[in-house]
Amino acid sequence: MKKGRWGEYLFIYPAVIFMLLLIGYPLIYNIILSFQDVDLNSLATGEKHFVWFDNYKALANQDGFGISVWNTIVYTLGSVVFQVVIGFLLALFFSMKFKLASFLRGVVMISWLIPLTITALLYKFMMGSGEGIFNQMLMGIGFIDDPIQWLSNPDIALWSVIIANIWVGIPFNMLLLSTGLSNLPEDVYESASLDGANWFQKLFKITIPLLHPVLLVVLMLGFIYTFKVFDLVFVMTGGGPINSTEVLSTIAYRLSFNEFQFSLGAAAANILFIILLVVSVIYLFMINKDEEA
Amino acid sequence: MQKRKEWMLNSLGILFVLIFLFPVYWMIITAFKSQSEIFQSTPTFWPKDFQFTSFIDIFKDNVGQYFLNSFMIAGLATILVLVLAVPSAYGLARFKVKGKNPMILLFLVTQMLPATVILTPLFIVFNNLSLLNTYWGPVLTCATLGVPFSVLILRTFFLGIPKELEEAASIDGCGRFRTFIRVIVPISYPSIVVCAAISFFFSWGDLIFSMTFNRNQDLWPLTAGIYNAIGRYGIEWNDLMAFATVSVLPVIVIFVILQKQLVKGLVSGSIK
Repeated sequence: MKKGRWGEYLFIYPAVIFMLLLIGYPLIYNIILSFQDVDLNSLATGEKHFVWFDNYKALANQDGFGISVWNTIVYTLGSVVFQVVIGFLLALFFSMKFKLASFLRGVVMISWLIPLTITALLYKFMMGSGEGIFNQMLMGIGFIDDPIQWLSNPDIALWSVIIANIWVGIPFNMLLLSTGLSNLPEDVYESASLDGANWFQKLFKITIPLLHPVLLVVLMLGFIYTFKVFDLVFVMTGGGPINSTEVLSTIAYRLSFNEFQFSLGAAAANILFIILLVVSVIYLFMINKDEEA
Repeated sequence: MQKRKEWMLNSLGILFVLIFLFPVYWMIITAFKSQSEIFQSTPTFWPKDFQFTSFIDIFKDNVGQYFLNSFMIAGLATILVLVLAVPSAYGLARFKVKGKNPMILLFLVTQMLPATVILTPLFIVFNNLSLLNTYWGPVLTCATLGVPFSVLILRTFFLGIPKELEEAASIDGCGRFRTFIRVIVPISYPSIVVCAAISFFFSWGDLIFSMTFNRNQDLWPLTAGIYNAIGRYGIEWNDLMAFATVSVLPVIVIFVILQKQLVKGLVSGSIK
């Protein structure tokens, strides 16, 4: 009997230990690091001291840090709102029963599977001010007279990256919402039709209220996955022009691996982590409550 | 009337997909264009003279090596994910062990963490263990993306398998481990393939881990190679798009083969 127990642990534990070593340990190390003064120099000599909140204070005065927090929030909310709305409309469209519906819904997933580095490069190309297809088309149909400086105008650049992110995220949102839609009870719609309800009434009085829990999950997941964005911003703009697209993850990376101020980078990453942790806890609490209900 | 509506919905759906996936078409088609054609003021939606020079250019420029590295990193990470996640998911579905719920929670939470948080500490740890500039840095870290996802999907799947199957096997004298290998793994094959494919995609798309842990270009995957090429190629978009097309190809091939199972697996893995 005792031998059996050991066998059971051998099944479960390797994966748990792996995650604790490669995620749990670094996570704690990162917190300690953010209270020390480790840079390239002290990494070599091994001499480091606790400076407690000095890094966080330095971060607050760091050029571009404040704007990176703001950009992360705008980026996340902008992306998530449009992804969910567009994804929902498409889910509604594809939930009408026609022959190609499920095939087409699947094909769209390609945009989600393409490595983000490639997507970023592709949008950088399409958003080129002269040779980019976006400007060529918009000017071709007379929508604009002068090319839009998608990625070099500081007022527009963040939204240009958001557009690329929306394109990446639409299929995933659509897929989750489609699944939610297909689980709704059909008899409610039938009796509503008998009562003479029109399409809009059904949408706002039945579909959206019934879909409420799924919508919340999709919103939260979208927030969590978008808030930690790195690749898209890093490859499309590198945080520029003049910090206009700098987000928390790119500034943390830059501090650690371009300026080699490891502790300062760790502090920036920690702020990202704390915000995500709060949202994740709320999310976990929500899905737990759903399961109980 | 009904037929006409059906016809309209199908056409509308196709039209939407064509517009939505236009960027992918544009990427592929640009790879076959000449440099001067790209910079014409009126865009061409089919190359005037179809040429393969961009592909020849990039293969002279080490793309073969990058491709091989991507395969090594994503392949090894995927194997690691399966070896760790399949037994763990099975154990968490079947055995009554202490701390089961906290362990499931651990996998849920780790799935949501940003890579940036573990990057600096792991850089220092890998530096001390002399793991920088080896395949191991990206392989180990990429596997952390696939493990939680796979454990959660597979656990849900294992919960659905009737217990009688294992009981029959144990009457036949199979030990727990042999039952797992001989009975459980074969019937779970489709779900395991989905986890393998998704773990492969996660690792195939990684840029930040390879870029941080490996300064040695000979170990770079396609993503790091292409990031580096953006600066060097400048505005030679046909070469860059050829590079991008080559990088996306394996993903599209796997997706086409496994489309149905993948879509189903993704849904169950993200909601539960």
